[in-house]
Amino acid sequence: MPNLTLTYPLLAALSAVLLPFAGFLLSIALGKKARHGTVAIVAISLSLLAAGYAFAQVWGHDPIHVRWHWFTIGQHAFHVGLLLDNAAVLMLLLVCLIALPVHAYSFAYMKGDPGIHRYWAYLSLFCFAMLGLVVADNLLLMYIFWELVGFASYLLIGFWYTRDAAAHANKKAFIINRVGDIGFLVGIAMVYSSVGTLDVQALFGPQGVFAAPAGADIPAANGKGTVTAGWLTVAGFAFFLGAMAKSAQFPFHVWLPDAMEGPTSVSSLIHAATMVAAGVFLLARVFPLFNEAMLLVIATTGTITAFVAAYFALTQYDIKKILAFSTISQLGFMMSGIGIGMYHIALFHLVTHAFFKCLLFLAAGAIIHEMQHMKEKHGLAIDPQDIRNMGGLRKRMPITFATMLIASLALVGFPLTAGYLSKDALLVHAFEWAALQRGPVSAIPYVLAIVSILTSFYIFRLLAKVFFARPAAILANKGVSAHEAPRQMLVPMVFLAFCSLFPLFTFNPLNDGQVWLLQGIAAELPTLPPLRLLHLLVPILATITTIIVAVVVWRWYIRGHYPLNTTGALYRLSERQGYVNELYGAAIVRPLLKLSALLWWTDRHVVDGIINGIAAAGRALAGITTWIDRHIVDGAVRLVGKLAWGAGNVLRRSQTGRVQQYLALVFFIILLILLYLIFAQA
Amino acid sequence: MITLTHFLVVGACLFSIGLYAVLARRNAILVLVGIELMINAAIVNLVAFSRYDKAFYGGQVFALFAIVLAAAAVAVALAIILNVYKFYKSVNPEDIRNLKD
Repeated sequence: MPNLTLTYPLLAALSAVLLPFAGFLLSIALGKKARHGTVAIVAISLSLLAAGYAFAQVWGHDPIHVRWHWFTIGQHAFHVGLLLDNAAVLMLLLVCLIALPVHAYSFAYMKGDPGIHRYWAYLSLFCFAMLGLVVADNLLLMYIFWELVGFASYLLIGFWYTRDAAAHANKKAFIINRVGDIGFLVGIAMVYSSVGTLDVQALFGPQGVFAAPAGADIPAANGKGTVTAGWLTVAGFAFFLGAMAKSAQFPFHVWLPDAMEGPTSVSSLIHAATMVAAGVFLLARVFPLFNEAMLLVIATTGTITAFVAAYFALTQYDIKKILAFSTISQLGFMMSGIGIGMYHIALFHLVTHAFFKCLLFLAAGAIIHEMQHMKEKHGLAIDPQDIRNMGGLRKRMPITFATMLIASLALVGFPLTAGYLSKDALLVHAFEWAALQRGPVSAIPYVLAIVSILTSFYIFRLLAKVFFARPAAILANKGVSAHEAPRQMLVPMVFLAFCSLFPLFTFNPLNDGQVWLLQGIAAELPTLPPLRLLHLLVPILATITTIIVAVVVWRWYIRGHYPLNTTGALYRLSERQGYVNELYGAAIVRPLLKLSALLWWTDRHVVDGIINGIAAAGRALAGITTWIDRHIVDGAVRLVGKLAWGAGNVLRRSQTGRVQQYLALVFFIILLILLYLIFAQA
Repeated sequence: MITLTHFLVVGACLFSIGLYAVLARRNAILVLVGIELMINAAIVNLVAFSRYDKAFYGGQVFALFAIVLAAAAVAVALAIILNVYKFYKSVNPEDIRNLKD
C-alpha cells in the first residue's frame, strides 16, 4: 500500500518537478526583467541535482509510491501522488540531463531575441510538465501533465508567432495532438469504468489488475462478470492513439516536421528528446494492458513509421526537416520495440536517442546560427537551413563537426557509441521475436534492418553535404567563411557527445547484455528465447552495411559519381513527404473548410435571416406601440391636462379682485344653501 | 299690537338696506355705514327675541355687547380705510383690485 509520508527520495523528486514550475512562475512575474534566463537555468540545475539524488536512491530498489487524497466524486476518491520506480526516475534524470545542456545552449543561441523572457518561461513550464508526467502515479494526473506538455509545446513551436509558418505549425501540432489526447482520455475512461481505479501501480504493477497473462479476461470492478478481451483491445488502442499523436507515429507524424518552425534549441529538447518520448513512456507505463493483437498493431505501426520517415528523410534539403524525420523514424523503432514486447529496450533506445538526437539538433542549431549570421552580415539571399547552401564547414567548425559526427555514428548504431547498444539490441530482439511469429509480421525485423540502412544513408548524406562537399558557390564567390560557434554553445554539445558514447551505459562496448539500464528495467519482463548467433551476426552485418553506405555516400555526394535523378516518381514521393500533407488537406482540411463555408452560409442567411426577421418584426411592433403610446395614451393624458387647464381658465374669470362682488357671491351662495335647506326640509 | 313679526320685518329691512350699501356703494365709508346697518339689524333681532328671556334679558345684554364691539370695529375699519386711502389715493372699493388673478 502507498504510504503518506515523504521520504527523502520523494521529496527530491517532488522538488525536481516543482522547481521548474517555480522558475516558470518567477519568470512570468519578472516579465521582461528575466531576459538573461538565470531563473530558468538555476531552476533546472537544482532540478537536475534533485533528480540525480532521487535516481541514486530509487534505481534498483523497490518502487516508492506516495499519494494524497485529492477530491471525491460521489463514492469515488481520486488521489494525487508520486510513483518512483526505475522507469520514472530514469526519465526524471534523463529529462533534467537533456534540459540543462539545452538551457545552457539557449543562453547563447537565443541571445538578443526580443521575446526571450517568454522563451525562458515556456521552457521552464515545459520541463515542469514533462517531469510531472513521468512521476505521476495515476492516469488522470498523467493526462493533465500530458496536456500541459502539449500546451507548452504549442507555445514553443509558435514562439516566433509573427511568422505565418510558425503560427500554422503550432496550430497543426496542437490539433493533431488533440486527436491523440482524445484517445488517451477515452482509454482512461474505459479503464476506469471497467476496473475502477486509475492508480498506475494498482493497474499495471506486478500485483496489478493487468498483471494476468495478456488476453485473459479481467474481473470487473463491480464484481459482475469480467472485462472482455475485446474491451481491453479497444482501450489499448485508445491509449496507443494518444501515444501515436504525441510520438508522431504514421499517419499522425505530420506535425513534427512542421514543428521545426520553433527555435532549434526547442526542437532539440521537445521534438527530439522529451515530449515525443512521452508517447513511448506512456506505452511503457500501460504496457500490461496490451494483448497480442494490440502489440502486433503497435509493432506494425512503429515499423511503418520508421520506414516511411526514413524514406522521406532521404531527399529533404532542410537540415532540421531531415533531423525531424530521423526523429520520427527512431520513434518508430521505439514503438516497434514496445510492440515486440521489449519495452525496456524501447526505453533504453529512448535514452540513448535522447542524447544523440538532442546533440544532432544542437549542432544543426550551431550551423544554422552561423549561416544566419553570415546571411545577415553579407546580405545574402539564402535559406540558412538549406543544406545545399552549406558545405566545407568541417574545417571552419571543427568541434561542431566532431560532435555531430559522434551523434551521427550513434544514430546509425556504429560500434563504441550508445546507439550501437540500443539499436542493435532492438534489432536482435526483433529477429528473435520474429522467429516465433508467422505470417507477414515476421518481416518486421527485415524492414527495420532496411530502415537502419536508410538511416545511415540520409545522415551520411547530411554530413557530406554540410561538412565535406565543396562550399556553395554563393558563399565561395564572396569569400565568406564561417566561424566556430561560441563557447556557451559548444560546452553543452561536447557534454552530450560524451553521453552519446558507450561508457555512460556499459563498460563493454560490444555487448548490450551488460548495460546497467537494461538490467534495471528488464527484471520484470519475460525474456525471449535467445538466438546466440544473431547477437554476433546482426551487429557485424549492421556495421559492415553502414561502412558500405558511407562509401557509397562518399562517392555519390563528394566525388559526384552518380548523377541524381530528381524526376523519378520515388524521388518525388519522398521529397513531397509521401503527399501525406496533401492527402490530409484533400481528405480532412478541405472538406472541413467546405463544411465551415456551408455552415457560415447557413449562419449568415438562415440563422441570421431568422434573427433579422424577428428583429424586424420586433421593430414593427415597437413602431405600432410607439404610435399608440404617442397618440392614444399620451393623447388621453394631454386631454385631462387640457381639460383642467380650460376649467381653470374659465374659472379664473371669477377672480375679479372686486371685494364687493366676492361678497355678493358669498351672500347669494349662502342664500341658496339656506333656501335649499328650507325647501329640502319642507 | 306690535308683534315680533314687526320687529323682524324692520330688522330684515335694515339688513337689506345695509347689504345693498355694502354691495353697491362706491365709497368705503358708506360701505362701512352699510355694515353698521346690518349689525344694527341683528341687534334689533336680538332685542326683539329677548322678550322670551324674562329672567336674564340675555338678548338685551348681548345687544349692548354687540353695540360696543361694533363701535370698536368701526374704529379699526376707519383706520384701515385711512391707510388704504393713503396707499391708493382712493376709497372706492372698485379701484382696489390687487386680489385679481
